[in-house]
Amino acid sequence: MNRLVGFAGVVSKRVASAMALLVGASSIIYLTVRMAPGNAVDAITPMGTPEDIKQQLAVDFGLNEGPIIGYFSWLSRAIQGDLGDSLVVAMGSRVVDEALPAYWITLRLSAVALLACLFIAFLAALATSHHQRRSGLIAAPIYFVTTIPSFIMAVFLIHGINSFVRYNVSPDVIFTLDWYALGQPSDSIVPTLIGGLALVLSDGLFVDYLNALRAELIKLKTSQFIMSVRSRGASIWPHIIRNLWVPLVAGYAARLPLVLSSVVIVEKIFGIEGAGFLLIEAAKVRDLPMVVGVSLLFTMTIIAVDLLASIVRIVTDPREVARGA
Amino acid sequence: MVLKQHLGLLASGSVVALFCLFGFIAPFVDYSAQDAVNQRERQFCPPLFLDATPQQSKTCPKPTGSFFGTDHLGREVGIRLFKGIQAVFFPGCLAALLAIFIGGLLGAVGGYGRGIFRGATLGFIRIIDTLPRMVFLILICTIFRPSITLIALVAGILSIPTVATVVRDKVERLASEDYILAYIAHGFRPVKILLYHILWLQCRSLLIRQASFIFGYIVFIEAALCYLGDYGVQEPDPSWGNMIAQAKSYALMSTWPWLFPSLAAMITIAAFMAFGNVVANRDEVVKR
Repeated sequence: MNRLVGFAGVVSKRVASAMALLVGASSIIYLTVRMAPGNAVDAITPMGTPEDIKQQLAVDFGLNEGPIIGYFSWLSRAIQGDLGDSLVVAMGSRVVDEALPAYWITLRLSAVALLACLFIAFLAALATSHHQRRSGLIAAPIYFVTTIPSFIMAVFLIHGINSFVRYNVSPDVIFTLDWYALGQPSDSIVPTLIGGLALVLSDGLFVDYLNALRAELIKLKTSQFIMSVRSRGASIWPHIIRNLWVPLVAGYAARLPLVLSSVVIVEKIFGIEGAGFLLIEAAKVRDLPMVVGVSLLFTMTIIAVDLLASIVRIVTDPREVARGA
Repeated sequence: MVLKQHLGLLASGSVVALFCLFGFIAPFVDYSAQDAVNQRERQFCPPLFLDATPQQSKTCPKPTGSFFGTDHLGREVGIRLFKGIQAVFFPGCLAALLAIFIGGLLGAVGGYGRGIFRGATLGFIRIIDTLPRMVFLILICTIFRPSITLIALVAGILSIPTVATVVRDKVERLASEDYILAYIAHGFRPVKILLYHILWLQCRSLLIRQASFIFGYIVFIEAALCYLGDYGVQEPDPSWGNMIAQAKSYALMSTWPWLFPSLAAMITIAAFMAFGNVVANRDEVVKR
């Protein structure tokens, strides 16, 4: 019973903290819109926007009211799923109707890429954890390749694929870096797979996971309780996996913002029509309701994943409840 | 043996030193002749170490002898690479200084302070940390007139939580050390203990590492935002990002206009990351 009360207390604290974060982060997004130079409505709409749409936009963003009242009326509408209507990209249709399906593609791509990266890093950490020192000959090239920025990695990959197709499959093809030889995602899953590969291999994600998991594994393997398990002749792996679970979950949640930033670039370069692609297209034509809507979705995901990871940690690790924070 | 020990520092340090040197001298170099548009005679001239294809010989009848070749407008890629450093050098310094100064102070207050100061500082750090960086930068570029200085300023602000978290962890650990308690017992002012004895003497290497990472991040973000939507440095001023963006339509005609800026960005970012790590690790070893 006591444990249940402690558990409920810690979870409610985390939920309240997540709500506070949502209010804080969304208020920054809202204030940024309000800080638009000159007349805010004119500054945030594309040239030639009809007057009635401008008026509607002012109402949607609470620009006719004071910042605090305007913010809370905008936030309450956003929480109810009303992020306004798109001005250009999907003219007239609701932002939520356009952004949510695209966002699902983005979320799936980033979540799977992160999971794959974590899994490969876990296997690599297992394979190398019995050596206290790493071989510089292997570590240095892996470090160099996997710390290439996602943008450069995607450019190299797309150029490599295009060159391969031109010189091995179809010599007549004329390509640019904007063009993608393997077709659009609607035709096949290949662009999504290669986009995922670009995410896994870039930004130092793999090396960060590998170093963190390897250090944790070495610490666990040399700890007193694992030595006592070993001395009893029992298998150490159930204990190691149970203790490794917490850094795995924490690492997943901590790296998601980084991947959600990289996925915008990867989607644009590979033509994957997810929320990142939608965001860039909307930003180019100053479709602000769409840009703000997608930004809010990204922010909410980061907060939600952090909260979810906290709850998973609390459920699986009793020490979290004991700490009470 | 000595060379092997210092190889990481030598390699990364020399790239960082060259970058900084070029960043300082680039504004004073007159390059108008090499950067002049001459499509008819110098388009896609190959680098010195490559032979021209028949198609390139048509667009470039008189090879310029340029080491890095020329782009679609006949401008020298090498000189534009050099001038491209100027585009990110001062904005990068601005972003790094901003993040280090504010992040260091917030981290120190968050780690050393108590009560409402600590709560407010940690809350602020967490809120900024929640914003997705690239998405927020694109939002800023949509609302305001995008420029590299604005991008660097916002990227610097978005990097504050990273610096603050690292500093806070270190300050929290140091605050309960005996020698710090001894300073308090001797009546030293808390501001002096925090700023000099903790931040300056103990967190210097951490701050250098973070500054180095932020510099690398600015190079990356400028290149990415230029490619995604012409948000960074605008033509005709060169930057590595707009060189890649300009060259993307001519990827088949020539590789060098996009390959050299990509490689330059990649090597610079890796060097800044490695330099930060090496300097911080050496400092830790010396302290131990």
